[in-house]
Amino acid sequence: MKHITTILAVLFLLALPAVSNAQCRSFAKNKCMPSMAPYKFNETFNAAQLAPGEEAQVDLTFYSGQEYRLMVCAHPILGTVNWQLQDASGKSLFESNADAPKDHFDFKVATTQKLTVHFAVPADKAGNNMLKVGCVGILVGYKE
Amino acid sequence: MRPNSIIYATIATLTLAACGGEQPQQDTLTLPAVDSTATLRAEHTKNIFHNIPSPMETAGLLKKAGAEYDKNILNDVKNVDNYTAASRQALNLGIYGADLSYASVFNNTQESMLYTSCAQKLAKKLDVTNAFNEEVVGRLEKNRNNRDSLLSIISETYWHVDAYLKENQRDNISALMIAGGWMEGLYIACQVTKVHDTPELRQRIAEQRLPLTDLIELVETYSPDDAAVASVLKDLKQLDSLFADVTVPTGNSTVTEENGVTTIGGTAPQAALTDAQLKSITEAVATIRASYIN
Repeated sequence: MKHITTILAVLFLLALPAVSNAQCRSFAKNKCMPSMAPYKFNETFNAAQLAPGEEAQVDLTFYSGQEYRLMVCAHPILGTVNWQLQDASGKSLFESNADAPKDHFDFKVATTQKLTVHFAVPADKAGNNMLKVGCVGILVGYKE
Repeated sequence: MRPNSIIYATIATLTLAACGGEQPQQDTLTLPAVDSTATLRAEHTKNIFHNIPSPMETAGLLKKAGAEYDKNILNDVKNVDNYTAASRQALNLGIYGADLSYASVFNNTQESMLYTSCAQKLAKKLDVTNAFNEEVVGRLEKNRNNRDSLLSIISETYWHVDAYLKENQRDNISALMIAGGWMEGLYIACQVTKVHDTPELRQRIAEQRLPLTDLIELVETYSPDDAAVASVLKDLKQLDSLFADVTVPTGNSTVTEENGVTTIGGTAPQAALTDAQLKSITEAVATIRASYIN
């Protein structure tokens, strides 16, 4: 019985990422995608389970003449996720933070260029002993 | 946790993982803190994603730049049964996906349906039927004469395929699919430019230097553990060397408001290609693409 329990516990831990990632897809599909209309969204899945204090970045190419919607969609359990759009030299072009939270930014680019989105999940100030993990999805949509 | 609780929790988790279907609406997990939390956080502090523009966006840009549709440049649908290795299936799922996007953006319904069938066959071989199944094919058939709906369903389907692969730790297959799609997009752009050579089309080819850098970084992540991925990385680096002298705008961006639309501009000129650069890129991408489809 002890061996079975150990094996099952290992299987439980191995299966956990697939389940949590599937939940992330479900979250992105149901909670984020509807807000992308009328933009056509990019086919790459950029979403991850993040914990308080973690940060990430996405590099994106935007083409001249196209109109874009960039959306950072985070589960409310994580609080307000701060995010910033920067050009290749690190200059900030758009910022969303706790004082002025925005989940998306609509824009177009005059010249094709690579931009980077930096986002950070705020640290958990409550200091409770449970590690909260929530989905953060980054969606890019364009208009024809 | 008592042994019975562990058994029940494990069975529930494995069942969810095995089903792989639409998951219930619960989208957060609350995990008990463990001693290794600090280590895990340190390891995952920086998640870097590489977002490659979709073949559908590339096809739309080509259309706007004046390209014409040519079905003869696409991968032959008869080739679909030749792909037995998972790596070739993944590359060609991307290639057929780009062909499907190109046909659909240019409103060629007949070919769209043929390429849908090819893509679905490869998705089945790769065991991604959860994301690309008969129901999706049925939706595409039903909306074959509604271009906007067709394009939306294709985008959504490839998004689900990519997500499904990533959530099942098959990121290397996802990377190959994305590489195949990007390569086919570049191949189509070069081929249509042979017939209809304009500064706009050359610009769109030149601009591929930017996503190519991201694609190389994405593929590099998996190349040490996968020979097929390492081979694709070599191809991408070969192409990158041909793009080395292509000038693309970087930095010094400005943000302005024009007619209510925020515009990110720059002082740099648009990207361009010389005749020699175009010729060498066209030849190289044709050779690489031929090695993927044959």
